[in-house]
Amino acid sequence: MSKKITLFLIISCLSILFIGCAQSADDNTANAASPENNTEVESQQTADESSENNASNALEDTPTVIRLEGSDTGLPNPFKHLTRGPGMSKMQILYDSLLEIDADGYIPWLAESYHIDETGKIFTFKLVENAKWHDGTPLTAEDVLFTFEYYKTHTPVVDNLNIDGTYIVESVVQSDTWTIDIHVSQVDNTNLSRLGGVRILPKHIWETVDDPIAYDAPDATIGSGPYYMTHYDPVKGEYRYEAFDAYWGPAPAVDAIEWLPVSDSILAFENSEISLVNVSADLLTRYEGDDAFVVRKLPSFHAYRLMMNMTDVPALEAVNVRQAMAYGIDREALVAKIARGAAEVSSMGYVPKTSKWYNPEIEAYAFDAAHAKSLLDGQTYHFRLLTGNTPSEVKLAELIKLDLEQIGITVAIESVESKTRDEAIKTGDYELLLVNSGGMGGDPDYLRSIYGNASANTAALSASTLKGYQNETVAELAIEQAHTLDENQRMTLIHEMQSLIATDVPMIMLYTNQDNFVYRASEYDGWYARFDHSKLDHNKLSYVVPTP
Amino acid sequence: MWQKIVGTLIVVLVLNFFLPRIMPGDPFNFISVEEGSVTVTLTEDQIAHYHAYYGMDKPMLEQFTTYISRTLRGDLGISIYYNRPVSEMIGERLIWTLLLVISALGISSLFGSALGLISAYHARESSILDDLLLRMMTILSEIPDFIIGLALLIYFGAHLKWFPLAGATTAFAVYDSAFDAFRDYVHHAALPCLTLSLSSIGDFYLLSRQSAVSVLTEPYILTARAKGLRKRRLIFHHVLANAISPILARIFMKMGGMLSGAVLVEVVFAYPGIGKLMREAVSMRDYVLIQGIFFYVAVLILIFNTAADMIFKKMKQRGFHEKL
Repeated sequence: MSKKITLFLIISCLSILFIGCAQSADDNTANAASPENNTEVESQQTADESSENNASNALEDTPTVIRLEGSDTGLPNPFKHLTRGPGMSKMQILYDSLLEIDADGYIPWLAESYHIDETGKIFTFKLVENAKWHDGTPLTAEDVLFTFEYYKTHTPVVDNLNIDGTYIVESVVQSDTWTIDIHVSQVDNTNLSRLGGVRILPKHIWETVDDPIAYDAPDATIGSGPYYMTHYDPVKGEYRYEAFDAYWGPAPAVDAIEWLPVSDSILAFENSEISLVNVSADLLTRYEGDDAFVVRKLPSFHAYRLMMNMTDVPALEAVNVRQAMAYGIDREALVAKIARGAAEVSSMGYVPKTSKWYNPEIEAYAFDAAHAKSLLDGQTYHFRLLTGNTPSEVKLAELIKLDLEQIGITVAIESVESKTRDEAIKTGDYELLLVNSGGMGGDPDYLRSIYGNASANTAALSASTLKGYQNETVAELAIEQAHTLDENQRMTLIHEMQSLIATDVPMIMLYTNQDNFVYRASEYDGWYARFDHSKLDHNKLSYVVPTP
Repeated sequence: MWQKIVGTLIVVLVLNFFLPRIMPGDPFNFISVEEGSVTVTLTEDQIAHYHAYYGMDKPMLEQFTTYISRTLRGDLGISIYYNRPVSEMIGERLIWTLLLVISALGISSLFGSALGLISAYHARESSILDDLLLRMMTILSEIPDFIIGLALLIYFGAHLKWFPLAGATTAFAVYDSAFDAFRDYVHHAALPCLTLSLSSIGDFYLLSRQSAVSVLTEPYILTARAKGLRKRRLIFHHVLANAISPILARIFMKMGGMLSGAVLVEVVFAYPGIGKLMREAVSMRDYVLIQGIFFYVAVLILIFNTAADMIFKKMKQRGFHEKL
């Protein structure tokens, strides 16, 4: 008996070792193999055998597969993708919009041209005539008309067509097979981006679907984008997209894109399991100066900010106290110590310094403890600071506490997990609150949501979450800038808003993080950054051959 | 016994419903972002729409009665975050977790008990072997499983490249045979399984050693020794047979602990088990999914504990251990 046990144990150990060694050899072979050899396909749709574009020609000289860090981010259609960025971007690769976003702004996409009438209320889009759905059906203005009507009653996850609870599209008129007129209810500078960013749905699939949130049939991911989905495993977080050869537009840059689970993105990148990684500042030295790697540093359009409850804490109603705190926090030191230099001190006027709408003339609030003390005029205060529980947030809170103590403000730090902190932002159950939040890319109309009287829309924070801030001039300017069609005049208004906001300091903008993307140019170098979004892997243009 | 089980299930159902809802936070409220990440912010109108869609706008009592009646019908609802049936999601992942936990339990109990018995045999001689094993196992049982996992991942996965860094199977793999598939599963499960095994082997070692030391003082062992029985036969036949009941009971009792231990291990190895799903569900405040997972885990633990009870009783009846 004992001999049998010993034998069993020896065989078990040897089996594990054998499997380990044999499989690692197999993996190396699999990595070098073409995707057709090592992938299974649950093909939902077949690409049309069209020869209307030169996609296949472009593919001959380009890398085969891009592999990216993956996890389950939902079924990639406009109704079922998860609310995280990776979920949205996977959906956007499959579904085209009338306009797309590049490094400078909005560019024609499914709409080869567009026109806005003199009233600013009628948008005419002329579609490309050779666009097709992944199942081969032609995409026409009828689909666009259907989409705008369908979204009115079936809200997608990314909802840009509602402003203050009102659907901005009044009516849609199809002029001919490829032309559509969209009438909006009111003039708004964001109308073009809102209409242009809408993901167009295939009418022949969705017209019979009453509950899109529950709909998960095989055709629920048929779009008109440059890739179509061939594999989705929600349990393992695996996705595989293949190039759509009949794509009307810029050719797909690779044969396939794969998202696969990784335990640690750095280890996976080092092992060449994934093609792109976003590294922390501490690791930059590992890649900078090495010709094998390309490092791209991009502002993240997210910023740490210190929120102040001006409704429930009387002391924070006083602008001198808020200004004193803004002067009293050494934000450059925070960038150096917490972000290791890979960040930029934010503008107190909210608009990022990289934006063309940024006003450089506003008060910069350079660290000045003596001035901060003079603003407080000998008064001392005590506040409770609510923060998240990540190491960065806790360290940040501790440094802020030390800075504020120097000017006579003591702080008690309370650390909670992120959902609890987010809830406190909504309920106002805080005095000071530290949060890293986004909503800073794109059109500066976000100022209207945050500092004006509009309800929350695309901005991560809103007027309703900025407790107790009310400036009628800012609110009026917010509305005026939204309706002013003259860009120069709008620029003046937005500059003025920033100036007023910086003076009021309704929240203290701390610093904007930087994304540090690293990739091997020899593997794939088509990564592209949008003007409003720093994540290279979220950008659709990263996956198509650039047009001259 | 059945009354106790039903009572426990009722308590579980009630706690399952109310505990997640006591936590601050809303499944649709996304304001903060983690560094290097992005999130989509929902409008107030959208949040209201989703609350209505998932019945979260109804009074709490109505939600509770709906939850109870659905659960009794076997319908665990639709995940708020993932938009998929909870039973389906749990079923897909539970198999991976059970694979890990049962294998790890088997390995740790087998090796832990064997080492415990060997150690116990040498304990009376104050041998170096016993001293060394005791120290090693005590230290091992105190190291958190995710630390063990990270160390194994970095050395065997990243450095030696013997094992994959993540997942339960090779991504997008198509297998030529069942053996290929099996080999791939074992290859991916090896490190997470080893992690869980190492983190619990100390428990079994200490229990087995303690039981065996106590058995070794019994007069019949002295008689066996006097008869000149071989050391191996003495340990694995006479000592093991009489020390096995607490070990068997511990195996079933340990199951619940290992299910929760699997959470961190699955996160470290991006293993698609129920633990990783539970972490996501809690962090996203996906009430429906939290309820479903906790319900399944509670039922599993109840089953294992009941099994432990029954085995205990059975062995007592057969007089396996007089002290039972």
